[in-house]
Amino acid sequence: MNSPCGKLVRRFGFLCGVCGLLLSAPTVAGAMEVRLNSQTLLLFMQRNTSTSADASVIPLYEYLQADIGARSTRGLSFHFYGWAREDLNDSDYYKDNPDGELLYGYLNYSRPFNNLNLRLGRQYVIGGLANNSIDGLSLQTDLGPDFVLSIYGGLPVAFDTTAGRSGDSIFGGRLVWHSDSLHEVGLSYQKTSNDGSTEDQRLGLDLTLALPAGVNLSGRSTYNLESDGFGENFYEARFALSDFNFRTFFENYTYADYFAPGKQTPNPFYVLNRGGEAQTNFGGDVVWRMSSDWEFGAKTKFYTYDVNSSSAAYYSGLITWHGQDLTQIGGEVGTMQGDAADNKYILSRAFFYWDRPAGLPLAFISGDLLYAAYDQPIYGQDNSFFASLGAGQRFLDDRLELKLSGDYSSDPYFDSDLRTMLVANYRFDY
Amino acid sequence: MPRRPLLFSLLLLFSFLLLVACSVHDQGYSLPAQHPPEADLGRNRPTCTDCHEERGGPLAFADFNHTAYFAESHRNAAGRNVQVCNMCHQPSFCNTCHATGIELKPSVKNQSDTYSRTPHHGDYLSRHRIDGRIDPGSCFRCHGNPKAARTCAPCHG
Repeated sequence: MNSPCGKLVRRFGFLCGVCGLLLSAPTVAGAMEVRLNSQTLLLFMQRNTSTSADASVIPLYEYLQADIGARSTRGLSFHFYGWAREDLNDSDYYKDNPDGELLYGYLNYSRPFNNLNLRLGRQYVIGGLANNSIDGLSLQTDLGPDFVLSIYGGLPVAFDTTAGRSGDSIFGGRLVWHSDSLHEVGLSYQKTSNDGSTEDQRLGLDLTLALPAGVNLSGRSTYNLESDGFGENFYEARFALSDFNFRTFFENYTYADYFAPGKQTPNPFYVLNRGGEAQTNFGGDVVWRMSSDWEFGAKTKFYTYDVNSSSAAYYSGLITWHGQDLTQIGGEVGTMQGDAADNKYILSRAFFYWDRPAGLPLAFISGDLLYAAYDQPIYGQDNSFFASLGAGQRFLDDRLELKLSGDYSSDPYFDSDLRTMLVANYRFDY
Repeated sequence: MPRRPLLFSLLLLFSFLLLVACSVHDQGYSLPAQHPPEADLGRNRPTCTDCHEERGGPLAFADFNHTAYFAESHRNAAGRNVQVCNMCHQPSFCNTCHATGIELKPSVKNQSDTYSRTPHHGDYLSRHRIDGRIDPGSCFRCHGNPKAARTCAPCHG
């Protein structure tokens, strides 16, 4: 099937499949709520591959999402999201990458009683310790007015690339005690196994507390049961004063307990759990909504280490003007100041998004400029420049959107890189 | 039957019965499946406390205000109550960043959406050498598994 003829057939089949699904949607939709979102991207760029320099790479991507069944109300529904890619120039640029992936595909059943939610299939689980893609079952339900229980189990999608799926498993859960929005305390547990051996086993605590003067304290701690130590402590306080929103935070990571010591921990992280390093960060940000048009922000973050004697600090500020709908003009300047010279850079960005530009037959025009200056050259270059310009138009009552953008980059990795992209977004609702 | 498994089984059964007893006792606040469409949120980043009280009701709405830095600081709020996110965002929206393999980084996949402060904007390949040295935990949260680390593999092995 790798002959030119085979590739042509595969490519044709790929396009026919997507078109067929989109065109057949109205028929299928006769009996139930259906929403389809198709994002088709065609990129053109030049890259060095293992066989040639400056080879033209023309990947065609299709990101397809389908939601079928009860959507606006609770009940039974099916949800799907996945992508596929075909290089129209047959370069070997993607030879080590998969040509597509199912990101989720699950049946969902939910009832208002006790906020019951049941999912079966490939899904992304978030909550407490969980931040994983699984092939399995998850359940969440209220236990009376003060408690919430969620449990999940199945096969970890992240481990299916090595030695197959035999012996792989993931399960965990979270029990939450809350009193309206005044406090919430969650206890969670997660265990992952790979090829029959325990890869990772953790306990988690997360909480949010309403303190006096409108201060909200929240955070989380994670205890690694395999290495017997706290891997992460992260706590933040948020409060508002007039039009100002403040956030301060403190976080601490013990590398030996945070970077999972299992054999599946990928490079470049697995080496970090040796050496006894611990990192403590603190800082904050403030956002001032001066008016409905103007928004200002400032952020700072300090980094310190137990073993490494150096430290670092990041400072940034931003300004945004908001116009009608999504129209915006903004800018941001930041600097990373590490003790070591090769840990210093200055970053600046300016952007605009002109929504429904008057007098032009376009839905939007957008632009982006980014410039970074490095204290120490990277591959002989001490700065990088990136520019992007895009425009789009919408059709069929805004269900179809066509976008064209061009990017230029000159940086330590690319002397002069030009990339163009054509995007077609199609949304079908019934 | 050995004593320890028996005790464990009884404890598990007791816990299950306790949970069932709790669940039929009373209902808490039930989140709607979707944010009410009649409340037009507009297309800009929403500030929940423009309409809702900061706290005191069923949710701490102030935690979900989409400030200019919300993209960088939503982890705590989303990790506690992802159902609130799901009232407006499909899981595919989260998968733009949080996925085992999406191939295109968010700022490329949505290149012309310049108003969104997507991570890894522009030439992040160069900056990641510095950010990764200073704060490797920030990389690990998304790239710390074999599939999501495929983007690291060409250089880091």
